[in-house]
Amino acid sequence: MSISRKCVPFTPFDGEIAKSTVALVTAGGVHLKDQDGFNIADELGDLTYRIIPEDVNAADLMVTHHHYDHSDADKDINVVFPIDVLRDLQQEGFIRGIARKHVGYMGYTMQLKAMYEGTAREIANEIDKGSRADVVVLTGG
Amino acid sequence: MKGIPTVLITVSPEVSAQMRPPRALYPNGFMIGNSLGKPNMRELQLQVLRDALSLLTQDTRPGKIIMRDYPNYGEYHEPPG
Repeated sequence: MSISRKCVPFTPFDGEIAKSTVALVTAGGVHLKDQDGFNIADELGDLTYRIIPEDVNAADLMVTHHHYDHSDADKDINVVFPIDVLRDLQQEGFIRGIARKHVGYMGYTMQLKAMYEGTAREIANEIDKGSRADVVVLTGG
Repeated sequence: MKGIPTVLITVSPEVSAQMRPPRALYPNGFMIGNSLGKPNMRELQLQVLRDALSLLTQDTRPGKIIMRDYPNYGEYHEPPG
């Protein structure tokens, strides 16, 4: 998937929120506890990302990120990765569904070009293929 | 290629504005690390996420960040112990 560079990459939304399936993509360094953490030792940052499955238990998630205070996310991951909040919205009928996969990456890098031209496209492709998402909610830390 | 509509929840509006996000919500005064609010304040978190998703159907200007107030954010108290 290509990303527009010259103008705002605005994709119109012509559906209904109540009929939409939602994916989460967070730059907050969120990943499963049994996945490798992000490389916080490298001053250049970490360009990799982690896939988080739809049926994840919030208690199995953690944050590896050294450029923001994630002590609140350590208590409740939903403050940066609102997976349980999404489930509540599905329950109340505000959205239709939760995507099959979500993405966490560490939104700190000195390699901006590689992040923009590499990682961002890879993440967009992950969501595009097999997540069934109609819309994506992006969060930082 | 159709693309996927996105909405950003940002707590660093000045930084996010540089990237001109298609749609973005800034919950006024939320600290970094509190995109959805404070831990276990589920009603607040629901309110922020509903508002963010609602931007998808509102006539927002691409690149503009919408600021909303959530007064109950300030009512958080650390749980004892």
